[in-house]
This record gives sequence, structure tokens and C-alpha cells, in this order.
Amino acid sequence: MSTFLQTLFVGLRLGSIYALVALGYTMVYGIIRLINFAHGDFIMVGGYTMIFTTPVMIALELPIWASVVFAILVCAIVGMSTELIAYRPVRKKGTSMSALITAIAVSLFLENLAQAIPQIGPNPKVANQIFSAGGIRIVDVTLDWTTMLTIGISVVVMVVLYQFTQKTRIGRAMRCVSEDKSASILMGINVNRTIVLTFAIGSGLAAIAALMYMAQYPKVYTTMGALLGLKAFVAAVLGGIGVIPGAMLGGFVIGLVESFTTSYVSSSMADTFVFLILIIVLILKPAGILGKNMGEKV
Amino acid sequence: MKKFLSLLLVLALSLSLVACAGGSTAPATEATEATEEAAATEAPAAEAATEGITIGTISPNTGSLAAYGTAVTTGVDLAISEINAAGGILGQQVTIINADDQMDPTETLNAFNSLVSQGVGLIIGSVASSCTSAITGAANEEGVVLLTPASTADSITTEDDYVFRACYADGFQGAIAAYYASQAGYTDVGVVYCAADTYSKGLYDSFKTAAAKYGVNVVAEESTASLDVQDYTNQFTAMVTAGVQFVYAPFYYDVIGPYIVTQARAAGYTGIIMGADGYDTTPEYVVEGADLTAFNNVYWTNHYDPADTDAKVQSFVQAYKAINNFTPSAIAALAYDSVYMLKQAIEAAGSADASAVRDALADTSAVYTGVTGTFSLDSVGTPAKGAAVLSFASDGSSVTTKLVDVVKELK
Repeated sequence: MSTFLQTLFVGLRLGSIYALVALGYTMVYGIIRLINFAHGDFIMVGGYTMIFTTPVMIALELPIWASVVFAILVCAIVGMSTELIAYRPVRKKGTSMSALITAIAVSLFLENLAQAIPQIGPNPKVANQIFSAGGIRIVDVTLDWTTMLTIGISVVVMVVLYQFTQKTRIGRAMRCVSEDKSASILMGINVNRTIVLTFAIGSGLAAIAALMYMAQYPKVYTTMGALLGLKAFVAAVLGGIGVIPGAMLGGFVIGLVESFTTSYVSSSMADTFVFLILIIVLILKPAGILGKNMGEKV
Repeated sequence: MKKFLSLLLVLALSLSLVACAGGSTAPATEATEATEEAAATEAPAAEAATEGITIGTISPNTGSLAAYGTAVTTGVDLAISEINAAGGILGQQVTIINADDQMDPTETLNAFNSLVSQGVGLIIGSVASSCTSAITGAANEEGVVLLTPASTADSITTEDDYVFRACYADGFQGAIAAYYASQAGYTDVGVVYCAADTYSKGLYDSFKTAAAKYGVNVVAEESTASLDVQDYTNQFTAMVTAGVQFVYAPFYYDVIGPYIVTQARAAGYTGIIMGADGYDTTPEYVVEGADLTAFNNVYWTNHYDPADTDAKVQSFVQAYKAINNFTPSAIAALAYDSVYMLKQAIEAAGSADASAVRDALADTSAVYTGVTGTFSLDSVGTPAKGAAVLSFASDGSSVTTKLVDVVKELK
């Protein structure tokens, strides 16, 4: 019983992180139909920003998590610059395929750039304790506060994002751009500004994901975004990419599959099962668990 | 779809090339400076008497084990500056060409080939067993002496080859842990290891073999699929369920510090966690502000102890600290010893020619006195020497290392 509970909690812990990261992927995809492979690396940028601003927070006697404010700013700036410098010129000239490849290029660029900065360097850095340890104890097993907080934040982000895209003027503009760019221009929507704003929000989400990631797994290194981003991307696809609640569902499914495989099947085959589940779901439901099957315009 | 894939691959390929080029700019510039000397080593030894000797080094300067890369380069640099100040080897100044392996077996082979193409015949490297094992075959084919300072996997050295090492092998290191467990009275133990990593898997194998020999039962085994895993809670929950009080966990410092120890304690595991030389430098990778008493009851085996009062150890530690402002890790000490081993072998051979140096190193009667002990190489090229058993101690806010025992040989 305690093994089962522990496994469940570990699954929730991993899942809550994947869900939060997947929300960033799905947000950008849902609006401009671009799989932003650099999203995982925005998390790395956020992580390092927090590592470097933590001493400032301690000096000002503020809680360490407050450094996420700087991280959101830095990530939003990096996200918007990426759009302005890399994605927009490529989109003007090429197809959505060239934009996708540019995203991979940006991802590798950010990883290598971070390594080249002497203050970051190749050595991993370990974060300070961000939230106090401890949590609710059930049958000798602890569900820690950080995990519950991550789940809570994921739900709030999910609801706010959904309402934002449905109810606000900017949100409606975003949906219009996603459906038909030229029609949006005719309707008086500033397409370029809308896309930049989408990147600012998506990258800001990466900073929040970085905070929650570091609170549970306190190691920051330049390639941390690679595997994390890949799994979160899988989560987003599994839940139905572009569907906001789908990202959360996908994240938790992946976290739980990973954890239960470790405990009950084989601890070295966790990733195998994650990707096996992905293949099975995509065969049965090509658009993902919550995805609607829409014909894609070419 | 096919077009997309091929485009993707082409891009990934070209980017990785760019990445490699970026990563190796520093060594490349050093290399051009050293090309003349490198060319000189190919000339007959008599003519080269005033031209200098070139030694190549391969180390993980970037990537997840970069701390080891720094340790190797600083340890080698210290030894080389001492040797050159004292007149060099056979009256010739020594030059180093360093290549980065990025802790990646493929990159290690690239680094090796680049050194060989520059005419280097003597190489010190690499650190991770997975990387070194990628170049042992090439070293034998090319007839290049490969002296690894720190790769402990048993399979690295074999008889009649060009590969030697300055450290003991895992067969010994894992056995010490098993010996230690039996001495401390643990009959039922568990193992958590990484099935996909040469180092971790090698230590697991040797620990298990030795455990059977010493009457210790391995009752629980858990593994991870890669070294990138962040969560080890389930593995340690299994250890708690199995009721063991001693777990052998051969991982590296970047996993032990931030993840394993704290997660194991949170999962309710209170017993001993024991590891190997990969635990070195862990205290620099712990979470500030967390409850660090978790690090009590963690033991590990290492190549040397910087607090050793031996004159040779202390003069090395002081000289190293004077340049680098921090205590040398075991890898730095081994890299330092490797240079002196090569020096001794070159002097015994009377030339820096690779096959002559190889024959000198293969001489099992040669005795090397280094920071990490006094030893000879056995018939496969692995030293027979002792290990220090260390433990971490914490008052809650910081972690320190203390010497528990020195094992000279196993009974």
C-alpha cells in the first residue's frame, strides 16, 4: 500500500512538472501552429536567471521564489527576441517547416550559448532550497507541499490561459491569427504584435515551470531543457496539441506511467513505456486524447 | 514526412558540427601553436633532443562531468609546469595539447583522432569509462600510448596493448564496498545503479561478485535507464520495502548531491548509502538551505585523501591550492600522477617514441611513487594500490568529508 502511494505521489510530482512545461508548448502551438522546440531551453534560461538572482533575494530578505519575477522578465525578453530575430524572418520567407527547423536551431543555439558564458559554464549548478520541505503524511508516505503547489499552479495556469484565449480581445485575436492570418489582417488585427505577445506569455510560463522544476529537482545545467522539453512535448501531443486541458492531462499520464513502470515493471524501462504509450494512443486517437481531428491546412 | 526527417537530420548534423567547432576553438588555437613541436616528435629522437615532447590530453571540459575536465587540466598543468621548470623530460620541454570529449563517446573518438592527426603519440585520457572505452581499440590500432587517469571499468585495459591506467579498476573498487559491508556486519544489502552507464554498471557487477565472495546477499536491485533521471524515490522505496540497511549506489556527484541522498531519506531510507570515486566533490553540489543531515551515513571509496599527512600528498595539495584556490580532487591527483608515470616511462625508454614508452609501461617491475600511492602496474596495465574509504559528515548546514579507513589490500 505504501509503495503504491509513494509511486502515485512520485508520478504526480513528475507529472505536475511535465504538465506545466507542456502548457507552454501547447499555448504557442495552438496559436501559431509552431512547435517551439526552444521552449525547453527557455526553462534553462529561467533556471539560470533564478540561480543568479537568488543572492539578491537573500540580500533583500525576500523569499527565494520571488526571483521568478526576474526569470519571467528575462524569459519573456528571450522569447520575444527569438520570435523577432529568428522565427519571423524565416516565416516570411519559408514555410512552417522551415520555422520548425529554426526552432531546433534556436534550441541548440541557446544551449551552446549558455555554455560559452563564463559565469554559467559547463558545470551544473545546484539551487537553494526554494520552498520548505514536508507535506501531508499518509500511511508513512509524504505528499510534499511543492508537488501540491505545482499541481495547483498548473490548474490555475490552465484555467487562466483558457479563459484568456476565450474571453479577452487579445485572446480572440490570437485565435483569429491561428485560424487565418490574412483574414485577421483584414479584420484589423495586428498579426505580428499578437504573435510576439504569444511568445512573451509562453516564455513567461517557461519561467514559472523552471521555478517549480528547481523546487523539486534542484539541479540546473545547460542541457536540462532537452529531455524535459521532449517529454513535455510528448505530453502535449498525447493530450492533444493545441488543446490547453490536454497538455495537463498528457503531463500527468506521462508522469504516472513513468513512475508506475519504475516501481512495478522495470526501473530501467520507464522511458520505453512512456513512448510506447504515446505510440498506442496516437494509433487509436491520432489527434491525442482530447484533440479534435481537424484537417490541417497546407 | 521523409523530406522533413532528412531536413531535420541534416540540420542536426550541421548544427552539431558547428557546436563541436565552437567547443574546441580554445584547444585548436593551442594546437596550432604546438604543431611544430608535434611534428618534431615524429622526427628521430636524437635530432629532437632540443625540440620538445608533446603529450595529448583528453578530458570532459564541457558536459555534465565538467568538474572532472577541470581537475584533469589543472592536475596535468601543475605537473607539466613542475617538470618543465626542473628541465623537462630527457632535457626536452614538454607541451600539452588538450582536447575536449564533452563526456560523449563519439566526441572522445573525434578528440583522439584530432590528436593523432597532429602527430601525438602519448595521450592521457579520458575520465569517464564510457568515453575511454570508445578509444582503446583505436589506440591499439594506431599504436598510441593511452594512459587513463581515472577510468575504472575493468574492461579498459587488457594484456599486450597500448592502454594503461593510473587508478585501480572497478573490480577492486566494488569489492572494497562489499568487503566493507561484510566487515560492518551487513548480510542483506541492496543496489541502485544505472544500467546504461559503463561506470555504474561495472561497479554493480564487481560489487555483486565480491558480495557473493564475502557472504553478503544482494536482496534488492533497482536501476535507472539513464544518468539524466531526476527521481530516485521509487528505487529507494523498494529498498525500504526490502528492509535493507546498506545500499550500494554507484553514481556521480551531480546526481548524488542534488537528488539521490535527499530523495532516499525522504522515501524513508535511513541506512548506509555507499558509493565510489564518483562521489568526489559532492559537497559542492548540495542544496543550500535544505536539511543536509541527510548526508550523514554516506560512505564512498576514493583514490586518495587530501588530508593525508604524507609529505608527497601535502606538497601536491599545497602547490595545487596555490594556483587554483581549491583542494585538488582525486581526479586531479590521478592526472598529476599520470604525467609523472609517463615521465618515468619516457626516461626508462630513453625516448618519447610511442612503442618504446609502451614497452616501458608494460614493465611490471617498475615502481611508481605518486600522490595516490606507491604502486606497480600489473600484467594488464592496472595499478595494484590501496583505496581510501571516506564518509560525509554534516551538521545540517554544510557537508564535509572525513577519512574512515584505508584499505591497502583485500583479504
